[in-house]
Amino acid sequence: MRVVIVEDNVLLSSGLELLLAAKGCEVVAVVGDGEAFLDAVAEHRPDIAIVDVRLPPSFRDEGIHAALRARREHGALPILVLSQYVEREYAGELLSDGRGGIGYLLKDRIGRVAEFVDALRRVAAGGTAMDPEVVAQLLARRADDPLDTLTSRERESLALMAQGHDNATIAERMRISDNAVHKHIGNIFAKLGLAPDDSGHRRVRAVLTYLDGTPRSAEPAPGRGNPP
Amino acid sequence: MRDRAFSGSAYLLGTLATAVVTALALPVLLAPPAARGWAEWHRQRAGRLLGVPADGRPGGRRALAWALAHVAVGFPLGLAALICLGNILVAAVAAPLWWAFPADARPTLFSFFDVPVGDWKTALVGGSVQIVVLGAAAWWVLPMMARLHARVCLAVLAPSARERLTERVDVLTRSRVGVVDAHGAELQRIERDLHDGTQARLVTIAMQLGMARESLADDPDTVATLLAQAHETAEEAMVELRAVLQTIYPPILADRGLDGALTALAARSSVPVHIELADLGALPATVEAVAYYVIAEALTNVTKHAAATRVALRIERADDVLSIEVTDDGRGGADEARGTGIAGICRRVAALDGAVRLDSPPGGPTALAVQMPCA
Repeated sequence: MRVVIVEDNVLLSSGLELLLAAKGCEVVAVVGDGEAFLDAVAEHRPDIAIVDVRLPPSFRDEGIHAALRARREHGALPILVLSQYVEREYAGELLSDGRGGIGYLLKDRIGRVAEFVDALRRVAAGGTAMDPEVVAQLLARRADDPLDTLTSRERESLALMAQGHDNATIAERMRISDNAVHKHIGNIFAKLGLAPDDSGHRRVRAVLTYLDGTPRSAEPAPGRGNPP
Repeated sequence: MRDRAFSGSAYLLGTLATAVVTALALPVLLAPPAARGWAEWHRQRAGRLLGVPADGRPGGRRALAWALAHVAVGFPLGLAALICLGNILVAAVAAPLWWAFPADARPTLFSFFDVPVGDWKTALVGGSVQIVVLGAAAWWVLPMMARLHARVCLAVLAPSARERLTERVDVLTRSRVGVVDAHGAELQRIERDLHDGTQARLVTIAMQLGMARESLADDPDTVATLLAQAHETAEEAMVELRAVLQTIYPPILADRGLDGALTALAARSSVPVHIELADLGALPATVEAVAYYVIAEALTNVTKHAAATRVALRIERADDVLSIEVTDDGRGGADEARGTGIAGICRRVAALDGAVRLDSPPGGPTALAVQMPCA
């Protein structure tokens, strides 16, 4: 797998290069800003790019803009965006073109090497990798709607599904059988009123779109809020 | 009109009483604190009657001047009110009972003319005339007199330009001290968070790695355990550091500015938020940070306590003042004294010399309005 790294911090970019080399990936270019990134993509045609959010010159959210531009100009180039913090808003922007091959993870996750490389491969293959923090943010703001009818195991499956995992990984993480996962997911789709979909990218997209939408019911559930 | 007549009469009778007290207590009032307190009480009272806010605090000398004016103006006006009201009482109660008095001590009408009531005709006709005439005076003239006294009171006690300036300097000095205190306390908190959390975890990681190196040759199992522990500690340090950074300056604010950060904040809220955001131009970073904090805190309060179904957020800038309004349709009853959320908002806004107004009657709606200078 041929990778372009876009990261201005040398400590991090060289660490990442080392890690990827050890896992059999070929790092074809390491660049430090958005312009150089677009040039590197044009030159090397990588399978995936790993992009930091904060880049020179302004050290704000250039990475997000560079990623979106690269995807517009280079036919949905798979991109894994890394950041020191995650924001639901950025996830929404990255997902907005509706195409697969997008990932958005905290830099913390690099340390779990196997999981990180798994996410990288998933994105390169057109899948999705969404940080558990983002999914938690999406789940947390929905205080009062069909999500409340999910059991805690179903909620757990939903979170893993939203992070972009397939049934086999979900079964492994939750230590349950494939059949049990299948059942949980069937229940989730029925309860949320989503059309049952095949696994893979379209399913992740459906779940994230659902979570990103406005809550169905704005009425506060009884018992919420403090007594007057 | 009826309220005005009654409150005017009550005000004047009270004035008569306090004017007498003031005259008797003049020696005590030579002490400035006593005079100031006594004058201040009257100023509030006059302000309430006229429905104007009484701002600033009177100085000692001004309070003494007021005491003399209060006796000179308040005593005759108050006495006039007492005579007027007293004579209405005489006409209404004593005149119809003229027959019960001894012949040489009958009640009299028309005070200065001293017409004694000796038969029913005088009692009824004279009494009615007296009630109508004095009643009209009490209805129309007494409120005017009360307001006249209140105006004199406020005029004598109004702070001079110099006193206003002094008070403004006092307020600014206090708020500046507050800023410096808040800033120092904030630095201490950050230092403590980093010291107790992140730094301690880095030390732990170094220890775990050092021990792993020692065991490398002869105890691979221990090495594996130590490495796993060091890994976990590093992950905890990252989570903790992120939380500390968020409290120092929210990264989304650094990335996207106030409007982008507020959009993200609204998107996170579980109660739907409608944002009305005017073009704010360039704002100082401190103002942006406080505005973000205030709105984040207000939205948290709405989510936690208000049981609201929607929130309206309006931010605009007029010249050099930034105005924020957060209104929800919840149950109201928010109280500055309860909970630290609103107190925290007040403290941060005061540090920028801004103002907070909270309007939250029981049953709602709740409106929080904040204004901050943003030159």
